[in-house]
Amino acid sequence: MGRVSAVWRRAVGSVVLPLLAVLLATGPSGLAQNLVEFESRVTEFSLDNGLKFIVLRRPEAPVVTCFTHANVGAVDEVTGLTGLAHLFEHMAFKGTRTIGTRDPEAEARALAKIDEIFEAIRAERLKGGSADEQKLAELQSRLAEAQEQAQQYLVHDEFDEILKRAGGVGLNAGTSSDYTVYFVSLPANKLELWMLMESDRFLNPVLREFYNEKDVVMEERRLRTETQPVGKLLEEFLAAAYKAHPYGQPVIGHMSDIEAVTRAQAEAFFRTHYVPSNLTVAIVGDVDPARVKTLAREYFGRIPLRPAPGPVVTVEPPQPGERRVVVEDPAQPFVLIGYHKPSIQHEDNAVFDAITDIMGSGRTSRLYRSLVKDKRIAMATSGFQGMPGQKYPGLFLFYAMPARGHTNQECERAIYDEIERLRNEPVSEQELQKAKTRARAALVRQLDSNSGLAEQLTFYEVLTGDWRNLFQQLERIDRVTAEDIQRVARACFTTKNRTVGIIETMAGENES
Amino acid sequence: MRSQRVCHLSPVLCAVAVLFLAVSPVTAQRATDHMQLKYPSLRDVVVPEVQRVTLSNGMWLLLLEDHELPLISLSGRIRVGSIYEPADKVGLADITGEVMRTGGTKSRTGDELDDELEQIAASVETGIGQDSGYVSVSVLKEDIGKGLGILADVLMHPAFRQDKIELAKMQHRSAIARRNDSPRSIASREFDKLIYGPESVYARHTEYATIDSITRDDLVAFHKRFFGPNNMMLAVWGDFDAQEMIARIEKAFDGWEKIDLDLPPSPEVDYAWRATVNLVARGDLNQSNIYIGHIGGRMSDPDYAALTLMNHILGGGFTGRLFKNVRSRQGLAYSVFGTYATRYDRPGVFAMGCQTKSESTVHAIEAIREEARKMTQEEVTDEELELAKDSYLNSFVFNFDSTGQIISRLMTYEYYGYPPDFLQQTRERIEKVTKADVLRAARAHLRPDVLQILVVGRPEDFDRPLSTLGEVRSIDVTILPPGK
Repeated sequence: MGRVSAVWRRAVGSVVLPLLAVLLATGPSGLAQNLVEFESRVTEFSLDNGLKFIVLRRPEAPVVTCFTHANVGAVDEVTGLTGLAHLFEHMAFKGTRTIGTRDPEAEARALAKIDEIFEAIRAERLKGGSADEQKLAELQSRLAEAQEQAQQYLVHDEFDEILKRAGGVGLNAGTSSDYTVYFVSLPANKLELWMLMESDRFLNPVLREFYNEKDVVMEERRLRTETQPVGKLLEEFLAAAYKAHPYGQPVIGHMSDIEAVTRAQAEAFFRTHYVPSNLTVAIVGDVDPARVKTLAREYFGRIPLRPAPGPVVTVEPPQPGERRVVVEDPAQPFVLIGYHKPSIQHEDNAVFDAITDIMGSGRTSRLYRSLVKDKRIAMATSGFQGMPGQKYPGLFLFYAMPARGHTNQECERAIYDEIERLRNEPVSEQELQKAKTRARAALVRQLDSNSGLAEQLTFYEVLTGDWRNLFQQLERIDRVTAEDIQRVARACFTTKNRTVGIIETMAGENES
Repeated sequence: MRSQRVCHLSPVLCAVAVLFLAVSPVTAQRATDHMQLKYPSLRDVVVPEVQRVTLSNGMWLLLLEDHELPLISLSGRIRVGSIYEPADKVGLADITGEVMRTGGTKSRTGDELDDELEQIAASVETGIGQDSGYVSVSVLKEDIGKGLGILADVLMHPAFRQDKIELAKMQHRSAIARRNDSPRSIASREFDKLIYGPESVYARHTEYATIDSITRDDLVAFHKRFFGPNNMMLAVWGDFDAQEMIARIEKAFDGWEKIDLDLPPSPEVDYAWRATVNLVARGDLNQSNIYIGHIGGRMSDPDYAALTLMNHILGGGFTGRLFKNVRSRQGLAYSVFGTYATRYDRPGVFAMGCQTKSESTVHAIEAIREEARKMTQEEVTDEELELAKDSYLNSFVFNFDSTGQIISRLMTYEYYGYPPDFLQQTRERIEKVTKADVLRAARAHLRPDVLQILVVGRPEDFDRPLSTLGEVRSIDVTILPPGK
């Protein structure tokens, strides 16, 4: 993926893949001490309204990362309203009753007028073939006029400006199937500013410029999905893998849903899901935990207690047989293979982590060794868990990018060969040890980044019920045996449980 | 609950309120407006002392102890690059950099190195970019001997085994076959060619023919010419004792012979100013990728500080003019950018652009172009300049929040011949920049009348023909088959 000097904010997709955390019991004692020492620097508390804080003091540099994990994602959307979690994430940067406006009362009236016109457009459009095109055109021009009117009360992007002026860096957010995260790093003396801004954002958000932002999100959809062959494939693939559970819905949403959604619907989504007990905050850096607590009470304590919505009730039924999807495109071939697996809470989760390492991580992984090094039929290949999410039963995903002159079929066959090996023979002690050592080292390497730690602490707290699992997960992986891997591989990697998606290259203009 | 907005009542009341908050002895009072907040002063950043040593073999070393975690990292630069490879062997530098590591050493195959390193969760990597070679090592501290040994072996005795050369060439050929799969990468690649020229070492790229012509002898000769201790810098940071580390490195590279250094500097860029309109037509797209710009500048330019602030105001993240007008106000794009890029040793590229639906292509081009024009026509506002400066100065502390960043920056400055305090100098200059300076710098460096425009998209669906912007040149991105 090329780096573009552009704005990658408000990203969609799985922004946060969980760390493969493993501890090798026989490893150097210094590492275990490091982890214990780290744990001792964490303090946690909950406010009366249910909002939870995790504070990790890291005084190395006078900076702090502030990270909010909202327990709401695309999985919480219903038919007709896909993309709403992500759209709200964009709107959370549009300001509050006091930030982003010159005159909140006059603005509120102007926004209500825009809503009214849009509702009329929406109603007319829904008539389908019998929609009055002339009436629509007229309404569209009235909408543009009303939007222009509302601009006069606007202070553009003030929320961003205030934090940027204070020295904020990395201000951004991301939405996945499972959750939505908001984050920024600041000079440590600006903690209170963040408290004020972030609490206001979830107490008094004003969804101004809503209909312009829908246009932005539609461009994002074109950018990520409609003009990116692999993005297109992934959307089709997930829709095939899930016929009942909302993991089959695209995080960015369907184009027609983005087009039709109203501001009132976005506000209702916010009220339902952004309740204090659905928010978990991590503060990592050069801060005094007692002061964090005082400020948190002052600012976030204002958010009224509201009941949290329940989890998704739909359970994906077992597949009656293999599912396959094809995307015809001028692009080069690509193959995706997914198997349904349990959620992160399942006791076998650590076994899947070990399988990820052995099958898919690095030059010594089985897939790379076979498809790239030995057979030279793929330019890239891997296998990992976590798509499209981990809160509910997700997928273990394999993929390969066939080398020039080689096919999806060859790569698919070679991946199945490796899967068969995993099912039929126990992995070697050496491979298992390597997986454990590498995961332990990966965790230690993550301990020197405020933002990485903030992300991980909230991830484990919300998805597993306790941030300590970031560390305890290591012990679980250490207990994984070769028999566990074989047992899990046999149960999970079956033909019946499989979905396959491929890009089939059509005669196009891409290659002569 | 309705918030009270004290500051909006009157400046006097506001001042009283702030005073009250400041002297209030009881628990913290919640501010209702960010303007009321008073910030404690930020504690001083202690910039650690970096130790510099030149070894007897000519290798230039930087060391920084950091005992927080039991890890050691190394990062090195070698003066080499694809700018030195012949035009009919584009890809040679990259393949040499890769196979040095994957092809193993005289005593161990690359696969054996992989096994050895992954068992201890360590990494040793090498690579060659456009104007610099890179090495990196990351190990748990007890494994430093092993990591350093492998690094030295790879640098001094690479075996360039044939199977890994073939593997690297396969990867390159596959990448060529896939290079038109992403419209974004087509746009950035073709735009570089428009700016630097298609034959330029700064823009040219691999073809099947250039990959096919690369042999093992080429790799061996390329390595021999550039890799020697006196052509290398190495930065080391982490949990070690500096004196001990110097001795270890000296020993690891013992016997590595100096090489003759007669490298030409990076080639100059001879830019011909011209306004052009270019199209890569792709019938399967519903969104256009747009690039607009011309040649950029160097970081050593006296206007660098003013240009840095101009970039903040024009295209800086979520608060620049382009973001405000093209994204927030008009909803034309998700990603919009605009930067007058400066590089250490040769001119960068001034590039603005976005991705927008086919139906708003020409409108978006005009909206973006207008921002460049405005930048050269009138002074920025006080608020804009203040925001850009505050943002730069208040976030300055993030230049020092990791040891790896501090030491790598010093090495980069040294590599390109910049003073070690270049960052501090820039900061001082930034503080002094005025609105007039920004306008003067914009006028000296931006030429909105001679912009080159590139669109990758489906012209049938554009809002207006691209030809309304000028004569359209069509770019053929068909991949040349092998042997051509």
